[in-house]
Amino acid sequence: MLPPFELLQPPSLDEALKMLAAGESAPLAGGTNLLPDLRAHGKAGGRFISLAALDQLRGIEHSEHRVSMGGSTTLSDILRDPLMPTAAPALVSMAEVFAGTMVRNAATVAGNICYGSPSADVVPPLLSLDAEVTLVSTKGERTLGLDDFLLDYKKTARRPDELLTAVSWTPPATGTANLFYKLGRRRGDAITVVGVAVTIVAEGNTCTKARIALGSVAPTVFRAQGAENALIGESLTAATIDAAAQSAAQECRPIDDIRASAEYRRHAVHMLVRRLLTQAWQTASGVNHDD
Amino acid sequence: MMTDKENEMATEKLVSVQVNGETCKATVPACRTLLEMLRELGHAEVKCGCEKGDCGACAVLLDGKVVDSCLTLAWHADGHSVTTAQGLGGPNNPHPLQTAFIEHGSAQCGYCTPGMIMAAKALLDDIPDPSLEDIKRGLSGNLCRCTGYTRIFSAIHAAAQTLRQQGAAP
Amino acid sequence: MSKIASPGASAANVNLRQIGKPLVRTDSPPKVYGTAVYAGDLTMPDMLYAAVLHSERASALLRRVDTARAKELAGVHCVLTAKDLPASQGVMTDMPGQTGGMTKNTKQPILAKDRVRFCGEPIALVAAESVSIAEQALSLIEIDYEDSEGVYDPVDALAPGAPIVFGDDNIVASYKVRKGDIDKGFAEADLIVENTFTTQYQEQAFLEPEAALAWVDEHEVLNIRSSTQVVEHYRAVADAIGLPHNRVRLRAEFVGGGFGGKEVMTIEVWLALLALASRRPVRLVQPRERSFLSHGPRHPFTMTHRTGVTSDGKITALQIKLTSDAGAYAKLSPYILLYATVGATGPYRVDNLQIDSVSAATNNLPTCAFRGFGTMQANLACEGQMEEIAKALGMDSMEVRRRNFIHTGDANVTGQIIRSAVWSDQCATQALAALGERPADTQTTRIGHGVACYQQSYGRIRWMKDSSEAWVGVEMDGTVIVRSAVTDIGAGQSSALAQITGEILGVPMGQVVVYFGDGAVTPLAGTSTASRALYMSGNATKMAASQVRENLLGCAARHFGVEVEELDMGDSQVFAIDDPQRSMTLNECVKLCAAEGIHRHNLAIFKAPTSEGIDPETGQGEVFPDFTYGAHAAQVAVDIETGEVRVLQSIGAHDVGQAINMRAVEGQVEGSALMGQGFALSEELILKQGRLQTGSFSEYLVPTSEDVPEIKAIILESRSGLGPFGAKGIGEPVYAPVAASIANAVADAIGVHIFELPITPEKVVKVLREQEAAS
Repeated sequence: MLPPFELLQPPSLDEALKMLAAGESAPLAGGTNLLPDLRAHGKAGGRFISLAALDQLRGIEHSEHRVSMGGSTTLSDILRDPLMPTAAPALVSMAEVFAGTMVRNAATVAGNICYGSPSADVVPPLLSLDAEVTLVSTKGERTLGLDDFLLDYKKTARRPDELLTAVSWTPPATGTANLFYKLGRRRGDAITVVGVAVTIVAEGNTCTKARIALGSVAPTVFRAQGAENALIGESLTAATIDAAAQSAAQECRPIDDIRASAEYRRHAVHMLVRRLLTQAWQTASGVNHDD
Repeated sequence: MMTDKENEMATEKLVSVQVNGETCKATVPACRTLLEMLRELGHAEVKCGCEKGDCGACAVLLDGKVVDSCLTLAWHADGHSVTTAQGLGGPNNPHPLQTAFIEHGSAQCGYCTPGMIMAAKALLDDIPDPSLEDIKRGLSGNLCRCTGYTRIFSAIHAAAQTLRQQGAAP
Repeated sequence: MSKIASPGASAANVNLRQIGKPLVRTDSPPKVYGTAVYAGDLTMPDMLYAAVLHSERASALLRRVDTARAKELAGVHCVLTAKDLPASQGVMTDMPGQTGGMTKNTKQPILAKDRVRFCGEPIALVAAESVSIAEQALSLIEIDYEDSEGVYDPVDALAPGAPIVFGDDNIVASYKVRKGDIDKGFAEADLIVENTFTTQYQEQAFLEPEAALAWVDEHEVLNIRSSTQVVEHYRAVADAIGLPHNRVRLRAEFVGGGFGGKEVMTIEVWLALLALASRRPVRLVQPRERSFLSHGPRHPFTMTHRTGVTSDGKITALQIKLTSDAGAYAKLSPYILLYATVGATGPYRVDNLQIDSVSAATNNLPTCAFRGFGTMQANLACEGQMEEIAKALGMDSMEVRRRNFIHTGDANVTGQIIRSAVWSDQCATQALAALGERPADTQTTRIGHGVACYQQSYGRIRWMKDSSEAWVGVEMDGTVIVRSAVTDIGAGQSSALAQITGEILGVPMGQVVVYFGDGAVTPLAGTSTASRALYMSGNATKMAASQVRENLLGCAARHFGVEVEELDMGDSQVFAIDDPQRSMTLNECVKLCAAEGIHRHNLAIFKAPTSEGIDPETGQGEVFPDFTYGAHAAQVAVDIETGEVRVLQSIGAHDVGQAINMRAVEGQVEGSALMGQGFALSEELILKQGRLQTGSFSEYLVPTSEDVPEIKAIILESRSGLGPFGAKGIGEPVYAPVAASIANAVADAIGVHIFELPITPEKVVKVLREQEAAS
């Protein structure tokens, strides 16, 4: 049973923005977080602006230098896109283990990002790809880096009158490794205990770019920049990788909750970052580490 | 005397949905879910298990896409078409999935079955020759407590074969 | 799938035409076509909708419960609290279906009156024109709680000075088993191994939440149609609300999963009260979060085994302590404790034995029945201890088991002689063999193989004096009907009766109509619990069908001028075995019988063996009718960096006596494999100061399709069971060893046993780090 609320169904983006600008309302996309929340707290009287009719908010565009997906792109849309495995490998890996099929058909990237949860699975892969988000309101449009967009636990830089209309990034160059792993308490449809996305670019035997994005281990999804910096310019030996992974674990601020303790999360970050970096380095540099 | 706010929340709309090919109408407020509306219309085969997208018992096809009807607002289904387990077929004209589920013994208590079959239908529409991994992923939003899924997987595999053969027949 | 007949097994079953075959169950088509009706699907004109207010505090006095504003809300028909109920009100949650006090403190208030004892205790009931209005009414009920000190751990609850939850003390039940000479036994041991095992709360998580519809009909009979495992609850409903038993009619619809969680009354009394107060039909489907509070999860157990063994693995002495958390009300805790006590030694013969078990009250959720009913938890400890003993002795654990297996003819833990086949060894050997070659470890994963055996009872406690009735009849046109109040909770309870009747009367089972689950109109069959439905209702049905067969064949024999032994029934015909052309249809046969005044129907009562109880000092006595034996083997891969455990193979091998429907039997093994995996690895209700932290399927994690391993069922048939055609009960037995086999497999993989379920990645990492630190 949902509590009573007001639902406005704008036929166009302009209409939607006008409604948002009028205040005291929130956008409703797939509803896969919003509706369970409404049901749980039972507070009547919300006003929601439905984005269902706004087809322009869906669609994934690929060009040589940029990939852009509309805010209402669903997780299933990501899985259906034949170019996504090259354009964002970690995003596809994530989509494969995101919730269950029906939720994937409804949940949107904008909804997942703007909910601001540190366990939002969409975020680590996008962060590992230096994604940017586009926010639109009646006052205009702005684009900012996803890492600047995430402010705090369930707090983003989206103003109440803004819609997140697009997420974009530069597709990784050939040879880039971009990996994702989700650690949960079961294999299917689980809330993430630790989420890790890494990107490694190598030129010859040197790492020229590293991104380590971590979910569920801090108030927001974040990049372990200390660990990243330790890798740039290096040839990644097992020792370098392990040190970086340990550093990433130190940079976390995990909590104890019903799913796991902070201590375990740190350990898992260490292990998973080490593992993903090792695999990524192997792919990116062609060097095999058997030790 | 209701406030303006209360008026807005209480606003009801006439929603028209094609359910299994039949036009169904209901006047409902915004907070009514498709699950609630379908059940009020008499479609008891759409089951309620959790009302928050955790279990898949309420799964239906919405314009061919499998969704949790508990997370779908009735107003969003207005003008669209819904298929439930009863719309797939019946004793006189069973869908191959239904035949396979029966023959393989894929239902024990049966409560997850209508939602499970719709997810299976959507899977086979998408991937006519699914691997076991595809099947597991396709059903990842449907909980079953009784069967261990084993016979559900085998039934889907068998139905997929039947459908491919039917598709291939001249 | 394989079958082995024991040398002494009866050959009578080899000519079975339908029994044992994987035939389509009679309940499959409606469930698959979506036409099957469940309690929450029922509607009646003028129906009201119920909602229940559950306590938000675990231990508190109720200073004020004010329903005035709720009652004033338009569309609300009644709001009931404890002060609206008869003074004697209380729900007897004693042995389901039977009434009459059997254990102490079995009365739980229908609605909390002066105090609440657990977070979730029902306080108020509402009936309104819509669910929405009912929910709104709940929010208008004002409650002033005054918190009082509670107790949340059984050990704390049993300590002197602990807050008392109800009654005189927090001991809900206790048992003692004393057999042989424990001190002598330990003195004879070469080695003593002691370990403590703990298991967690498990939620039944049936897909269908509690649902029922109640109304008073034109004969002033209170009708309830419910998702329940026990039709005989009509008696307890009647007592709870002050109606005569013969004016309460309870019908069970198809149950969307029970597993014991619908074995005690859940919502039936609430709806009965609302229907009586409002004089309208009232329906409730519990929202999932409230379902978690409405029936009672599996008892957490702490189990200590102290085992003395000789150097070649023979058990010389076994001392066991069991403690369970009963929660805030007794419900079935005394019985669950008894089952755990009897199951604690597993399928082994132990002559020097001491068991002390206790169930303690706390301000936690009242725990209740769940598949396995105490024996399953106890078995985990027993089978884990087998592994630890083997490890300490440097022996293979199957060798240790073989040194100690109980055999047919031995006396078990309570001195009951085991009379049916004990095929634990064959089952375990086959299950383990079916795992095949162990794949190689990788740098980060370790493969483990584990096995567990068990001894699980089927049939109810003997001093319940259990019985079951069934009616079988052939209509004037030759079609066949079965009537039994058995409840169908998904394991094919009603279909089995069609299959048995079809076999006996020579009619395809799909053509037999079974009317089931009606307390007023179908003969009472007893509960669908304790793995008894097939045993009891199957036997009653077989008896009734056999009598009908005898009547029909007698008449046909006279007509053909042959002996009865020369006739058989098949394909809806009666025919001469040596000359099948000499036949008549069932239709013709019944008309002949009718003409001669011979009954074409029969009501049979099957009575289970009885006893008078156990000795309070020694625990000796005949407790159950019989036991089922088997094993489960698991292959796991443990990620030694993250601690994640993946089950790769899960194989159950069980002696089912005689499979009635092979598909249903295998389905039970398959379903229990996954449910046991959940118990072993991911399922856990977490309570903090009595408050549930894991109250939906997002936090409470049952295995999904992505978690499914390769599951196999190996079915053995000794034909030695007490059920129809030599069948044994299997619903709980097949579940008994699963979690233990997975725990043992993990221990095999990482070289150290984890004694606390669930085996989370965090626990694996913890023991691996401790292991590393120690070396």
